[in-house]
Amino acid sequence: MITTARIGLIAVFVALGLFFTFVSATGVIRLPDVFSRAHTASQADTLGAGFALAAVALTIGWGPTAVKTVLLLFFIFVTNPTAAHAIARAAYEEGVEPWTRGDERR
Amino acid sequence: MTAPASGIVVPVKRSPTLRQTVGYVIQQALDADGDAPVIHFVSVASWRADDPGSDADRRRATELLEQVETWSRFELEEADADPDAITIETAVIGDDDYLFSPADYAELLTAYGESHGLGHVVVDPEYSLVGHTTLVEPLEFELQQRKLSIEEAPVDRPTRRGRLTVSSTPARFLTLFGTSFLFYQILGGFSGLFDIVTGLATALVVAIALDNVSFYRDPTLVESPKRLARGVIYVPYLLYEIVVSNLVVARVILDPRLDIDPRLTKVRVFVGSGFPLTTLANSITLTPGTLTVKADDQELYVHSLVPFARDGLFDGALERWVRFVFYGREAARFPTPRERGDTEILQDPDASSTADANAVADGGVDVDGDSGVDDSTDIADDSATRSQEGER
Repeated sequence: MITTARIGLIAVFVALGLFFTFVSATGVIRLPDVFSRAHTASQADTLGAGFALAAVALTIGWGPTAVKTVLLLFFIFVTNPTAAHAIARAAYEEGVEPWTRGDERR
Repeated sequence: MTAPASGIVVPVKRSPTLRQTVGYVIQQALDADGDAPVIHFVSVASWRADDPGSDADRRRATELLEQVETWSRFELEEADADPDAITIETAVIGDDDYLFSPADYAELLTAYGESHGLGHVVVDPEYSLVGHTTLVEPLEFELQQRKLSIEEAPVDRPTRRGRLTVSSTPARFLTLFGTSFLFYQILGGFSGLFDIVTGLATALVVAIALDNVSFYRDPTLVESPKRLARGVIYVPYLLYEIVVSNLVVARVILDPRLDIDPRLTKVRVFVGSGFPLTTLANSITLTPGTLTVKADDQELYVHSLVPFARDGLFDGALERWVRFVFYGREAARFPTPRERGDTEILQDPDASSTADANAVADGGVDVDGDSGVDDSTDIADDSATRSQEGER
């Protein structure tokens, strides 16, 4: 019973991770400029990787390896916004004007 | 052919020290003996004329050159000199090819100097070739290979950032050592004597190597664990915020209408510079729909994707939490950015598109010298003191 529940939960987490990664990829394609794309590119890392790692931790069970997945998540949470910020700031300082409603797609 | 010594070519690009460089060049030309000096201010194009969107680049370059010319006239007036004593020319060069290396730039400047009889180059010490790396030294080296005399304008350079290194104290060393050791044991799964010995060795290497870049203040026995504990309380809240905004943003992205309304906003926050500001900026970026573009002291430039995210930002929940983590419960009670009037939408929907462009340009490149400041704020509370020490 417990095993079934656990497997079910793992499946749900994997599905959620896939869903948010899919949304993120869709966003990168659909959104109009570098700034808005940087928003959604970081989504894949936060919830996409987050749920995937939660599924991994559940599969492995409690132990040092599970702690490592939590640490992985922690490092992703530190590095991901730093990368997004670096991209956005580089674009900003190069004088890229953020897209606003009414502008043409580029 | 020999170039007259009075002919000076000055490559220009927006930089904190450009204004001073212009002043120096004019002064030099006035002091120089001999017949009417010639100064050419040239903007080296980082685009090609047939690139799409290069019109805007060209316009920006031309505007900068006009500004430089205005400054030059001003300098001449200040010096009570005959406005025609110096011939000032401006030009945009190099837009027929991509320039990659300092050698390309040097080649171009030399060719320009030769065709206009200019034998002397004065470089702004903060002049950058591509992007934002200051590459004056390789450029100077390349120019020296090409029979041009070169000079770096002696201006007061604003320190771009405080020094990253700080002095070590036993408390910092031991904390770093302990943390590294604990981390090693967690990775190794606390598996016995061998791990303890190698862990001690590794932690020692880490502590010695990174000691002077890790802490900017001594960790204390009471306050630091309390902060850590409050940080642990913050994590679930941050996760909750991330999930909520992820769902909102996911709905917007999957919506066929793609109902987005991106705006650049500016929020003045009160969290203290250094680590707290970094934490807040990173939390804002982690939350989908808001993205920290630039941190200028306590002013965050945040790009927001949808009104929902913008409202959340202006309500300042994350800011309150970060204050709570770093300064305790008392500090959390504080008006929201909206109540304080510290919010601003830089791209006002009512303003015309040119006004938008100006707002962005003004915020991004500041000629008068404080654009380097934002780098230092990410470092530490006492970065101001240290950056003074760091000035050469």
